[in-house]
Amino acid sequence: MSFNERYPMISPETLVFVLVGASIVLILVVVIRPSITASREGKIIAFLALFILPVVTAGVGASEHMERSEQTQFCLSCHIMEPYGKSLYVDDPAHIPAAHFQNHRIPADQACYTCHTDYAMFGTIQAKWEGLHHVYVYWFGTPMNPIRLYHPYNNRECLHCHAGARSFESATHMAMMDDLKSNTLSCTTSGCHDTIHNVEKLGEAKFWKPLE
Amino acid sequence: MLNKLRTSGVLLIFGLVIEALSLCWNTALSFMSFVVIGGLFFASGILLFLYSLVSGGREVREN
Repeated sequence: MSFNERYPMISPETLVFVLVGASIVLILVVVIRPSITASREGKIIAFLALFILPVVTAGVGASEHMERSEQTQFCLSCHIMEPYGKSLYVDDPAHIPAAHFQNHRIPADQACYTCHTDYAMFGTIQAKWEGLHHVYVYWFGTPMNPIRLYHPYNNRECLHCHAGARSFESATHMAMMDDLKSNTLSCTTSGCHDTIHNVEKLGEAKFWKPLE
Repeated sequence: MLNKLRTSGVLLIFGLVIEALSLCWNTALSFMSFVVIGGLFFASGILLFLYSLVSGGREVREN
């Protein structure tokens, strides 16, 4: 029996539920018998129950929510994103997001996040911040229609995976590498790989159905 | 002070229950309910508890 089988790792979600349960039990003790706070031990229990444990539980919960927000399912839970999710199933290898998603060139469960995060210092933080902004606008504001990127798509995000890959080392790519790295020639708008989500043409597209 | 502790505890229990419920789904709505509603209960519960500590000390000195 391996170490992991003998001592299975507790998932963050389970940890949150355990912490929530433990916090509620301790809080109930204080709520039902607040007079215990007269003693030193009671004060310690009250401090644990009403401050330390809730802060820790909220922190672990927030961290778990942030992790989950990277999932494709999370992004597609907003109605406005539905056509973009549908575009991942277009049956056309020239359709860049669909080809990446269907062939697992990116993790299928983090498809949106993998391509739409900045692979730069603080890119993850920026992506989360923009995600919070999206959620805020979706619920409390008016989302732009059609939605569009804040900035032109940076080649850095493509090169993060493709640079150095054997399939990418063609003479064509190598000849324009400096332009690609400096973003003077865009991967997505220069006419080479310009079939992106194309949500306005989904009505004409054929779709791939994954096997169960 | 005891009433404040009770109220603080009840607020925190609501916050914890909302946190647990919000983790049952992975949608923007569950995230928002955790941040906005759960956060409100958490913040008010913890602030009330901290206030009860400060005001409790002051009440003891005044008595």
